[in-house]
Amino acid sequence: MATIEFRRIQKQFGDVTVIPDMSLKIDDGEFVSLLGPSGCGKSTTLFMLAGIYLPSGGDLLFDGARVNEVEARDRNVGIVFQSYALYPHMTVFKNIAFPLKFKKVPDAEVSRRVHDAAELVRVAELLERRPEQLSGGQQQRVALARALVKDPTLLLLDEPLSNLDASLRLVMRTEIKALQERLKVTTVLVTHDQVEATTMADRIVCMSDGKIEQIGTPDDLYRRPASRFVAAFVGSPPINLLDGYAADGRLIVNDHPLALEGEPATGEVILGIRPEHLQFMATGGLECRIDQIEPMGRETLYVADSPLGNIRVLESGAGARHAPGENLRIGFHPEHVLLFERGRETLITGARASVRQG
Amino acid sequence: MAEMAARPVGERGFGESLLWLVAICVTLAFFFPFYWAISQGLRNPIDTFTVSGLGVPWLSFDPTLDNWITQLSSPESRRALANSTIVSVGASVLALALGTPAAYALARFRFRRVPNIDITIWFLSQRILPPVATVIPFYLVMRAFGLLDTQLALILVNATFVLPFAVVILRQTFLDLPLELEEAVLVDGGTYRTAFMRVALPLAAPSIAATALISFAFSWNEFLFAITLSSRDSLTIPVFIAGSVDTRGVQFWFMAVRALIAMVPPVLIALLAQRYIVRGLTLGAVKG
Repeated sequence: MATIEFRRIQKQFGDVTVIPDMSLKIDDGEFVSLLGPSGCGKSTTLFMLAGIYLPSGGDLLFDGARVNEVEARDRNVGIVFQSYALYPHMTVFKNIAFPLKFKKVPDAEVSRRVHDAAELVRVAELLERRPEQLSGGQQQRVALARALVKDPTLLLLDEPLSNLDASLRLVMRTEIKALQERLKVTTVLVTHDQVEATTMADRIVCMSDGKIEQIGTPDDLYRRPASRFVAAFVGSPPINLLDGYAADGRLIVNDHPLALEGEPATGEVILGIRPEHLQFMATGGLECRIDQIEPMGRETLYVADSPLGNIRVLESGAGARHAPGENLRIGFHPEHVLLFERGRETLITGARASVRQG
Repeated sequence: MAEMAARPVGERGFGESLLWLVAICVTLAFFFPFYWAISQGLRNPIDTFTVSGLGVPWLSFDPTLDNWITQLSSPESRRALANSTIVSVGASVLALALGTPAAYALARFRFRRVPNIDITIWFLSQRILPPVATVIPFYLVMRAFGLLDTQLALILVNATFVLPFAVVILRQTFLDLPLELEEAVLVDGGTYRTAFMRVALPLAAPSIAATALISFAFSWNEFLFAITLSSRDSLTIPVFIAGSVDTRGVQFWFMAVRALIAMVPPVLIALLAQRYIVRGLTLGAVKG
């Protein structure tokens, strides 16, 4: 168990700066997810925690002690790689026992701890097999057992679910979260999949271009995204983002004026509204015409042509209730509207737009 | 497939026969020297030039095992076999013992002053140098160290020439191994040495075996340095074969037998290690 702190951490590879300046605190026993698109520096951050990469600047603290130059082997960190990285020439037992070899653990205890770890992730009956004889899900469990067998102070998961098929991903997601809650081990998960991050982590660190865009609970990121990037990255189907111009308590989007309430924002803005926050209604709101229908099973996504431009509307309940070409009206609640400053791309707090025609 | 099936059977049969004919011709062309050596080795010296046609034993001449008996029981041929074995195994072991760690270092660590690729190309350039250019320097060096006509001299020289090959091939092998496996070792508590010894080395084993075999074959066949640096005690098989000449001219009957004897060990090893060679040589080409 450990608290982790990044103090103004930098990382360069040659002339390329991957992490310009990063500060982050992770509490003891917390499950934190680093979320971002590929190339955003999340894996680099993870490898710095593992000790595989050394930070180029700043301080990395484990329990308040600086570990910048501490070798990977002395950090007592467990890691599950994206490819699992099981040693192909060793049996499952030897794979799980491998980290204990360096700790001078007596044979009897090695055997007990390997069996305990295997029991924990339910691979006890596979101990004599080789990795190539295991399914993806089983390999994943073995990799977890190998990471956990040494009672790590920190557990690192690098895209652990990305090589699994969809249904198995769901199962492992639940299992990993349950395991983490039981063991109370500080855990850092790297993922580009927002669903993985929001379902498993206590807190999400959303990253882009080596910078932290926002740190918060899954709810924070969904409800109050700090920037346009976070708004676009979190949420599925993706949020509607419409360029507009704010002046004199009015918001002009695509030549269509909307009323602006609260602290009035001015200048170039981006209006964000999630598809699930738009409703079809009989009267009021904006006129629109259904262009396209994407049935998603439990819900239906409509692409509608509105005075604001093309807009995605999500309607829950199975079966499409509207057909392409149908003319409808859509509306939204002002509190669901997000406004971002264009240029800095940050959230403007306090501003609300309503559909009331200007 | 459909197109092939639609073609008349006769046409396909003709194409196939042609293919077979070519295959048979090529096979015959390749195997004829072996056959001729076998036939030659079974003849009395007197039959060497008098037998006409294909020289089929029993039909064209009365075969005899005399040449084989003479050669297999002669101390010179036994010594040549022993020398060749010691030199080839020694050179392969030495080249791999030095080349494997060098290849790993080139694949996994970055050298500060000279870029890794330049070092690799420098290794490769050793193979571009015509060996004959180094014969005299090597002779002088070996004489200075008193190593002329010793197995050690040939081991050193052969290892020198095989080493670049081993480094280049094995570097690619190590590059193709997933880096994450070695990173996992570091996180699991091991050192770079453990990562190399416990993970990289076992996984590179097929490629190392293939490289060892090629090194062995190279040293086994090496002639130039063998004839220059040895006079009697360290004579190897190729020199021994070339030495099948006496005052009466080339002793074809002995030469044939010696050539066949020389072929046996590499062929045996190749057959035993076949599985590894194919895996080892394709390891670099196909990424798993």
